[in-house]
Amino acid sequence: MDDLTLAELDRDGALYAAVETISGSRADLLRTAAGGAAAFLGLLAVPARAIAATATDTEIVNYALTLEYLQAAFYKDAVMMKKLAGEPARAARIVGAVEAAHVDAYRDVLGPKAVKRPRFNFHGATETQRKFLRTAIALEDLAVAAYKAQIPLVTARPVLATAVSIHSVEARHAAWMRRLFGVVPARGPFDDAESRESITRTIASTGFVARKPRMVAQAGPRFTG
Amino acid sequence: MSRRLRLALPGAALVVATFVAAALLLDGSDASSSPVPVVAPAPLPLPAPVSAAIRIPERAAPLPDPDNLSRWLALLRPTAARAAPGTQAPVLARLTPQTPEGTTNIVLAVGDRLDRAGRLWLEVRLPVLPNGTTGWIPRSALGGNNFVRTRLVVDSSRFTATLFSDGRPVFRARVGVGQPRWPTPRGVFYIRNKLTSYRSPFYGPVAFGTSARSATLTDWPAGGFIGIHGTNRPDLLPGRVSHGCIRMRNADILRLAELMPLGTPLTIL
Repeated sequence: MDDLTLAELDRDGALYAAVETISGSRADLLRTAAGGAAAFLGLLAVPARAIAATATDTEIVNYALTLEYLQAAFYKDAVMMKKLAGEPARAARIVGAVEAAHVDAYRDVLGPKAVKRPRFNFHGATETQRKFLRTAIALEDLAVAAYKAQIPLVTARPVLATAVSIHSVEARHAAWMRRLFGVVPARGPFDDAESRESITRTIASTGFVARKPRMVAQAGPRFTG
Repeated sequence: MSRRLRLALPGAALVVATFVAAALLLDGSDASSSPVPVVAPAPLPLPAPVSAAIRIPERAAPLPDPDNLSRWLALLRPTAARAAPGTQAPVLARLTPQTPEGTTNIVLAVGDRLDRAGRLWLEVRLPVLPNGTTGWIPRSALGGNNFVRTRLVVDSSRFTATLFSDGRPVFRARVGVGQPRWPTPRGVFYIRNKLTSYRSPFYGPVAFGTSARSATLTDWPAGGFIGIHGTNRPDLLPGRVSHGCIRMRNADILRLAELMPLGTPLTIL
């Protein structure tokens, strides 16, 4: 196999499988996908904030933080599941720790203005090695394309320097996961950027962003006593 | 080739030719002739790199240890739990996404397997009679993975409840259990919800719902589920005093509510 594109991953990989298996009916599927999309868009559509930079910069940092939440949760889930072996297991531990560090760094910068951490359901993508690697490639490629689109829009130089320093790390992660899966680390001499709308649509289509279960109620107990 | 590049090439060639000619002159000169000074243009000073806006740690902190974990998942839709992984296997129980208390119905995972079609199935503990039943549910019917490091052990002979975290005891209390005619069931279960802010002194300030069910009070409202809760009769504890529920003093149940996450496995000895 010479190469693997995101479209190929979406066609038969974990991302599409996740969507297909959300529900037994198309109506439910669409409802779930729409709910997930709305929730994710809601996260990204937070009011612009100011952090020693422009409101757009803050919006971009919160967008990046949301992507880092997704990646950090994915690798942590994979490590907790203990279904990976050998080099992919080692890669998940290392990359997961790095993605968690990115989350901490962005939350540190944004303080109380940071968007909340969403809940995720990876629909089994962390539970087999093959699905893990395919999804890891897709998520890393997405992150690289997302950073590439936003970096030229950043105004404040310290924010720009931050984004650039993380972008290159994400690109290394993408190359590492691609090598582990047996596809070429880079597809061509230039990479495309991808808009926030496009990235959001792709992630929403996976159903990875989930609702929080309701575990606490104020109902009167009817236990046996 | 772009027009801009074509226009730029002759100029670039001229610069290169000048440097080559100068180098030849230097090489070809003998000691008596006066040297022709060739000074490369000094590079323009560039600004120092910009510092990042983040505090960059020396190394990323490692992820938490994946040992001593239990996994629970929420039901996303009405689902049949089967005797084996596969849609043709007999149905053991039909589960709804909500508990009788209106909370999300959850299951505790104990295993997994791919079926012949490559679909992932999970073996889970079921909140059904007979107690201890496990069944297989398609992974697609379940929500995200949730992990806990805790385990609650209730010893119904010694009337104690002990909460372990990463294998270490972090909480211990004396408890009341079921009377001999309504015994507290033994086995491995899980904590599936928490009820608060109700007005029933009998149950104390907090009540946990479990997946355990009374084998004798099967017609009890909502299915006869076993709870862990406080009490307005602490004077009866410890002992065999309840209809099957696990009772503890109100201060103890409040402390347990601070320490025990939902989804914690429950072992009743």
